[in-house]
Amino acid sequence: MTDRYEPKIVALLCKWCSSAGSDLAGVSRMQYPANVIPITVMCSGSVSPLYILSSFKQGADGVLISGCHPGDCHYIKGNYYARRRISLVKSMLEYIGLEPERFRMSWVSAAEGQKYTEIIQDFVETLQALGPQTKLRRNA
Amino acid sequence: MVTSQDLRDAVRRLMKQGKLKTLYAYRKGAGGGHAVPAFIRDAEGVEDLTWDPTCVHNLSRYLIDEKRKREKAKTPPTHPMALVVKGCDSRAINVLIQEKFVKREDLYLIGISCEHSGMADPGKVARKFAGQEISDIKFTGEDTFIVVADGKEKVVPASDLLADRCLECPANFPVVFDLLLGDKTKRNTAARYKDVEKIESLNPDQKWAFWTKALEACIRCYACRSICPMCYCDECVVDSISQGIGPDTPAEEKAQRVRWIERSPDLSETLVYHMIRTIHLAGRCIDCGECQRACPVDIPLRLLNKKMEKDAREIFQYETGFTSDQPSLVSSFRDEDPEDFIR
Repeated sequence: MTDRYEPKIVALLCKWCSSAGSDLAGVSRMQYPANVIPITVMCSGSVSPLYILSSFKQGADGVLISGCHPGDCHYIKGNYYARRRISLVKSMLEYIGLEPERFRMSWVSAAEGQKYTEIIQDFVETLQALGPQTKLRRNA
Repeated sequence: MVTSQDLRDAVRRLMKQGKLKTLYAYRKGAGGGHAVPAFIRDAEGVEDLTWDPTCVHNLSRYLIDEKRKREKAKTPPTHPMALVVKGCDSRAINVLIQEKFVKREDLYLIGISCEHSGMADPGKVARKFAGQEISDIKFTGEDTFIVVADGKEKVVPASDLLADRCLECPANFPVVFDLLLGDKTKRNTAARYKDVEKIESLNPDQKWAFWTKALEACIRCYACRSICPMCYCDECVVDSISQGIGPDTPAEEKAQRVRWIERSPDLSETLVYHMIRTIHLAGRCIDCGECQRACPVDIPLRLLNKKMEKDAREIFQYETGFTSDQPSLVSSFRDEDPEDFIR
């Protein structure tokens, strides 16, 4: 047993690329930390800012949003809308004083299982250094 | 400078011409100190109208109820919805038109330019003249106000009393109107994002300390939401009305409801409420400062709204409210939007 902190990550993955990418990582038996709670959404453009804030409120240490690469969106332009909206949410979270490292967005295609594992690995290490997220967590 | 008499004359003329029947405007409040919103139905009411530095309210909020009333009315309306707008209010109207909430042809707007001046902040007036009875505040046409306190006239530098939003106003004249009173003159304004930049320069823990201190006071009265001309959703995320909880609602169903934000004044809930309010106003807030004025516990809400305004301007070159003829901030994108934060 190590006494490293095991962070909880909520990953909002788009159905068409990133979910498939995480699936590829799984079926290819790639090793990556088990700290992620993957949630499939139809498109990164369908991610409401509330999903992100709500995750933090319910105790997530980090939130990852992942969608198709620009130009590859199943709905043609959903990830472009996401890019704009999420950048506003990110700047809001930073403005309020949450550590910017706790929130991350990336593009993962269905073929990038390797990239997905690297992102999770890196995210977990960053969050371990930061420790538990207590700022937005609801004290219940 | 536009005077109350100018406004009254203009309204009388328009009523005679049959262009308007009713009007949302301002009249002197009880005691005469501060103006209050007034709804004028006939020529008799016109005598009460006033235009002075205490006309702080953004009357475009009344359009929301008025429009809903008209939608339910059995007979089609015969006259336009008419209101008096300042520079900031007119930008709110532009956003409402842009979002297709109201139609331009259903409105009659009497624009009044603040010219070289602006609105006196009620809080600043109360602090400066603590314990004294204010019976009138007047424009002088220069960088001063005349305040009648305890019956004596005093000349006060405008910068002492001007509301913060007026000091940072990007254009203190109406940008959409049917009739304009006063000139389109620009006053020198202070740096628009001075206070926002001050917070941005803090480290995360200092920012957090600032905001927790500011938002701890929130009593979740939702005055900021009630007064905002942009908060016109039929159903707000903080109080689900389409799924009301009644005596027959079974416990399992109540337990399974998604409650994004609880009503409890817990700090994390309050933070999420204010953040989501701010994000919903991104690219829509025109900085009329009404939320901050209405806040009973003096939360610096404008600092949150202005942060989004600053981002929209600096990252996406998006200016809110100067035209109703552009796609909204979050329903549009450009190929060159920055994605350096995406890894």
